[in-house]
Amino acid sequence: MRRNGIFLLARQLCKDAFRSKVMIMALGLMVFLICFSAYSGWENYHDQNYTRDAVQDEVQASWENNPDKHPHRMAHYGSFALRMKHVLSAFDLGMENFVGNAVFLEAHKQNTVNFSEASMSTGLLRFGEVSLAMLLKVIVPLLIFYLGFATIARERENGTLKLLIGQGITRKEIVFGKWLGLFGLSLIFLLSVFLVLLCFVLLGSHDTMQGGSLVRYCVLFLSYLLFFGVLGAITILVSAFSSTAKGALVKLLGIWLLFVIIIPKSLQAMGYYLYPTPSKIEMETAVEHDLSQQGDSHDPDDPHFNALKDSVLLAHNVDKVEDLPFNYGGFIMAEGEALSTAIYLDHQERLYQVYTQQNNLERYSAFINPYTAIKNISMAFSGTDFRSFLHFKDNAEAYRFRLAQDMNKLQMDFIPNKGKVGPNKISSQFWKEFPPFEYHFMSISKVLQNELISLIALILWGFFMFFGLFKVATNLKAI
Amino acid sequence: MYRLLFKSFFRTKIFLVSLILLMAVGMISILIGKQYLIKQEKTIITAQEFQEESIKRNVAYHKDDLGLLLYYLRFTLIKKPTNISAISIGQSDVNPLLQAVTIRGIEGQKYDTDFENPSLLMSGNLDLSFVIIYLFPLVLIAMTFNLYSEEKELGTWRILAAQTSGRVSFLFKKLLVRILFVFAVLVCLLFMASVMLQIQMDQNFWALFLQSILYITFWSALCLWMVSLRKNSSFNALALISVWVVLTILIPAMVNNYVINKYQVPEALDAMLEQRDGYHEKWDLEKDITMTGFYEAYPQYKNYPVPEDEFSWIWYYGMQHMGDLAAKETSAEMTEKIMLRNSISENVALFVPTMHAQLSFNTLANTDMISHLNFLEALTEFHKNLRLGFYTKIFDNKTADSVIWANHKAKFYTLKRDFNWFYVLLPTAFITLIIGVFGVLNLRKL
Repeated sequence: MRRNGIFLLARQLCKDAFRSKVMIMALGLMVFLICFSAYSGWENYHDQNYTRDAVQDEVQASWENNPDKHPHRMAHYGSFALRMKHVLSAFDLGMENFVGNAVFLEAHKQNTVNFSEASMSTGLLRFGEVSLAMLLKVIVPLLIFYLGFATIARERENGTLKLLIGQGITRKEIVFGKWLGLFGLSLIFLLSVFLVLLCFVLLGSHDTMQGGSLVRYCVLFLSYLLFFGVLGAITILVSAFSSTAKGALVKLLGIWLLFVIIIPKSLQAMGYYLYPTPSKIEMETAVEHDLSQQGDSHDPDDPHFNALKDSVLLAHNVDKVEDLPFNYGGFIMAEGEALSTAIYLDHQERLYQVYTQQNNLERYSAFINPYTAIKNISMAFSGTDFRSFLHFKDNAEAYRFRLAQDMNKLQMDFIPNKGKVGPNKISSQFWKEFPPFEYHFMSISKVLQNELISLIALILWGFFMFFGLFKVATNLKAI
Repeated sequence: MYRLLFKSFFRTKIFLVSLILLMAVGMISILIGKQYLIKQEKTIITAQEFQEESIKRNVAYHKDDLGLLLYYLRFTLIKKPTNISAISIGQSDVNPLLQAVTIRGIEGQKYDTDFENPSLLMSGNLDLSFVIIYLFPLVLIAMTFNLYSEEKELGTWRILAAQTSGRVSFLFKKLLVRILFVFAVLVCLLFMASVMLQIQMDQNFWALFLQSILYITFWSALCLWMVSLRKNSSFNALALISVWVVLTILIPAMVNNYVINKYQVPEALDAMLEQRDGYHEKWDLEKDITMTGFYEAYPQYKNYPVPEDEFSWIWYYGMQHMGDLAAKETSAEMTEKIMLRNSISENVALFVPTMHAQLSFNTLANTDMISHLNFLEALTEFHKNLRLGFYTKIFDNKTADSVIWANHKAKFYTLKRDFNWFYVLLPTAFITLIIGVFGVLNLRKL
């Protein structure tokens, strides 16, 4: 196998491609689509973050501007957490528009994250969204198939394959040369998208919150590189195994449909069918049930809280709760908050486990479908997958819990018990001391851990395809 | 002639493959619709029990204080499920089926979402509308792309042309056989759905039925036109798949991107803040400020005393209402924006049959955006009636016994939407006609 032969064939393939109408049309379309999605992706990222940032500041300002009051009023006044978009969401929208953007954080209650873009959209959203990643995942593979279906099959049909071999070019050189040419063509799309993306990353990286986006960028680039290599290999393999170019095209189109539309969609649907999830009202019922079993601070005859009362009275050697050295109401609420939060989170965790089961069916199909692998990798490293959303949600919940408990603590320390003299308010200085909600994106190592399966699947695909090319190169039929 | 054509068609591989594919995926989609209906039913039963249980429990806890009791109690309004929605689940998985609200401020409650796996929301439901919109055209393409070119490439066209008087009518018939087959599968699936999902055969169903037929006719016309260009098989396959990608993926997605970016809804976040601050700031202000606003809205409560130095429920619920009033304008702007998104999408869809099919399916199945907005409006009204029903009793400091709780069961809201037959059917019919005429004219030149 000589390198020269490979390069010669690769160059020839590229040259031929640029002479064909398909390539010209594909290029024109791609330029338009890249411009459109780069613009709309950046616009969306920038505008949304601008709005949310402003609202988050407003939330903090209004929190700090509260006058002196009872800390429990502040616990109910609460706060909001706004979900900021990662700069790479301009590349891959992922689930961005299907998850909520703002959540009200108050004592006693875990609110849902509301105002997802989907909840304010028409049915059109289900057709999908155009993003730079979508072009690379969905459209470019189709173009690669268009450009490559004829490579070997047509040479064989025309009899030129026989001639090539007759002229002393080895089969390996033909197969790898064609593959390299096709891969080179796909690099045009890949590089142009990632060049645009590099600008985004650099523009967005002045933000301290966006740490690690360059590493994410690199992982994305390498993954897509590998993905395109795999796609090129699939094309060459199918072309080599088909007797006619037309047959190769039909097969490749079928593969594209299976990979991109049919397999992911039906596996997701199957997951949903196999693992039913409770609706919110069902989960709330279950939470309330557990709460009444373990301790409901609202129930005056609750055994858990009555026992707690007795033990606290005993520990402090007093007869009435009013004589305790701290505010008893604050104490009970802190207990209640801890208990109800633990129960809620436990149920939520179970719900997410069902979601994981639902998704795993598709996730593991990465071993038979490289599109699934790249889809999950792309979303995860763009910070737009479900885990990234949960990461935000967990942070918001932790902040909520801290807010409620800090206010309960203030009440315990500074508010007198019922019937005792003392102020019913505390200084507004305390509000200013409570830190604002700040969100930091998931660490890169955590993302790597989450997407290990998809990365392994993609790398395996790489190995398999390389092996497949070797195999086909040894027994390529000339006629 | 037709018998022979059918016979030869039935012997092809593609016939068997597409029959199995369409029937299998179609059945799966109907089952998914069934499961969706069952889940709805389960949710409704839970919601009804939840409300009854929680009323019972809370009444026991707070018997003497109706104001406090109603602070906790939640009342449910449920969208009455229609079975036709299982054909086109649309936006009904994103938007909640029901809302359980307290008589406190509505603005902070009405946009609460239900739980749904975002991965599923993203990939979309595999309902019958998906099968019709995405898969049926693919099968049509697979069966017709080489209708003429194959005969040409195999060399049988010359023989055929020599043997039949009407070459064109032969091609027509060959095409017709395939289209009829697809129609038969479509009709079969739709009727199966109507039986298995127990869908009422009302005008919504028939409109959906006709829209499906028209949509497939549109693709048939497109295939006919492609055949009439007399290119080779590879070109046809490439071109038709490209058209499919453009129509079912690129254009709708781009329109969606455009609409979302162009009409952003920051009002949603603003209204959320306004409601909270509008309510909470009143705690620190003179009681008069709240009461003036509240009396303005509801003068019938003017005579209730509001003690200056202690807590009273009329003041509390007055403050809650102030929160809603503070957010009212922004909230209305938000609804307007969403309506604008909807109308722009619908207008563009008039020119793109795939989009039009999806949107009109959703409209006919009551699973579109407008249906949900109507529900939210009804919810606001429901909330208002609840409040007004309870206010007098709370302000009179009545106990929990004064309310007949048996009357407070979960309520149903029936979606009532009219649709315009012309609006649903004409756009696609018109586009189909144009493409069909071009196709036929091209073929005549054969």
